[in-house]
Amino acid sequence: MALDSAKKEELLKRLAQGVVEFEDDEVREAAQEWVDTGEDTYDAIFDGLVSGMEEVGKLFSAQEYFVPEMLMAADSLYIGLDILKPQMKPRDSGVKGAVVIGTVQGDVHDIGKNIVKMMFDVAGFNVYDLGRDVPLEDFLKKQLETNSDIVCLSAMMTTTMMGMPKVIEMIRAKNPNCKIMIGGAPITDDIVGKFGADATAKDASNALEEAVKMVVSLREIQKEANAKS
Amino acid sequence: MTEATMTAKERVLRTLKGEKVTPVPCFSGVGNVTTKGLEKLGYRFADLHNDAQKMAEAAMTSWELFGYECVVIPFDLCLEAEALGCVMNPYAETEELLYPTIKEKSKLTTEQLRAAATPELLKKGRIPLVIEAARIVREKVGDQVAIGSYVLGPFTLGGQINELEVILKGSLKKPEEMKEYLDALADVIILVGNHLLQNGIDYISVREMGATSDVLSPRVFKKVIFPALKKVADNMASPNILHICGSVLPVIDMMAECGYSALSIDSKTPMKEAREKTGEKTVILGNFNPFATLNTGDAEGAYNVAAQCVRDGVNGVHPGCDIWPTAKPENLEAMMKAVRETSV
Repeated sequence: MALDSAKKEELLKRLAQGVVEFEDDEVREAAQEWVDTGEDTYDAIFDGLVSGMEEVGKLFSAQEYFVPEMLMAADSLYIGLDILKPQMKPRDSGVKGAVVIGTVQGDVHDIGKNIVKMMFDVAGFNVYDLGRDVPLEDFLKKQLETNSDIVCLSAMMTTTMMGMPKVIEMIRAKNPNCKIMIGGAPITDDIVGKFGADATAKDASNALEEAVKMVVSLREIQKEANAKS
Repeated sequence: MTEATMTAKERVLRTLKGEKVTPVPCFSGVGNVTTKGLEKLGYRFADLHNDAQKMAEAAMTSWELFGYECVVIPFDLCLEAEALGCVMNPYAETEELLYPTIKEKSKLTTEQLRAAATPELLKKGRIPLVIEAARIVREKVGDQVAIGSYVLGPFTLGGQINELEVILKGSLKKPEEMKEYLDALADVIILVGNHLLQNGIDYISVREMGATSDVLSPRVFKKVIFPALKKVADNMASPNILHICGSVLPVIDMMAECGYSALSIDSKTPMKEAREKTGEKTVILGNFNPFATLNTGDAEGAYNVAAQCVRDGVNGVHPGCDIWPTAKPENLEAMMKAVRETSV
């Protein structure tokens, strides 16, 4: 079956809505229908799944959704992504990169980290997830090993965020061009400056929104590049 | 007895009974050891957790150095989880100062928790060690200052012994199952809390930070969290404090309805609105950000923050979280001074 524009719209809507309402089966079926047409799945991922996650971010900001809702939406997104990603055509102009991500030592909270990781997965980065309670020197080791463009450090508690400047210093000393993003409940713009990091998002909803924005802007860059070529 | 001759212990315990004390006490129900205190003793933070003598000595230092009106033990959040078969990491080998975490979760089920909630549990892990530390503190301070301790709230303890993600999703997907699970955890908490209160602890905090409204919807709080928190309040001896950090304005009426001796809130919950929602009778402790106030800020700022808490009508000036050890001594002194000098 070919993917005409009406069918395409329908599937995009089902993918997005499925993520928003964490209807795993709906997402699975819509993704499978798309894949069965043999078409490139790029739009299904970005205009379907990511668009749904964008809505989840808005609902989170409006305090209609909370962390459990976000986690369930993320599960639905991954169900779709696992089906769609293998059939996505590689894009020459796409932003390719690697990111090392983890929660710093002393902190066993990884939910915020996983949400940010999800958006890197969607955007097509190679994600090296070190997990939680990660010894500080492991971030440097992995960055050097993978030559990643970005390192993301997460901390849920003020008490564990103090490990961050040490990691930042270690990485800066070896690789000054690496972008370092830090995030978590205690992180503010002020802390980003003090610690010498490059970026953060104010809170969980902002982290999701920022990550979605990042993915959306990557898509714009790709579209522009595609239009030129 | 005039207020001027009241001991710190009386000031805190009267406050928790709902009596007005002037000036309000400045104390905490959670960790408050400082690097300055540790330096005085020559102890590493990681060495305190498994040694009753060191735990007791370190816990007294903020009282001794700054007149902070409490002695609180232990310093970590792993006590009940350990007794329930989890393994704690004290970070003994790490250079950085870190709070212990659970490195292996026992993942007990509702049935296993029900079976575990017997007096046998009270002999496990470091529960006897904390009681020994309380005895050592009492020997030293007598009735001058109250000894506090804490347990986790049912939802937060659930996240300690099980995968937090499972608990979070369960609260939305399978609320009835999760209610049963939290009910079983409440029994454990009641058991441990009462044991501590019967063995030298003067007041206890129930720390339910996992259920803050930054994380869970008021709907889920009402349906899943509230019944378990109320069960704890109904069955645990007093004085007890319900502590939830983050923004709790949407649920503070339910927190008050549980019936704890006092509520403890942090800076993300505005005091005036909290008071409006709970009424004059609710004892509210709070509500400053300890890290911003005591660690990164200066003495003048700390003075102003503490004075503002008093003017906003707290019944006790209390941090929104543990005081992180590197707190500046001059900031602690300024905070104590502000509370003494400020009246409503």
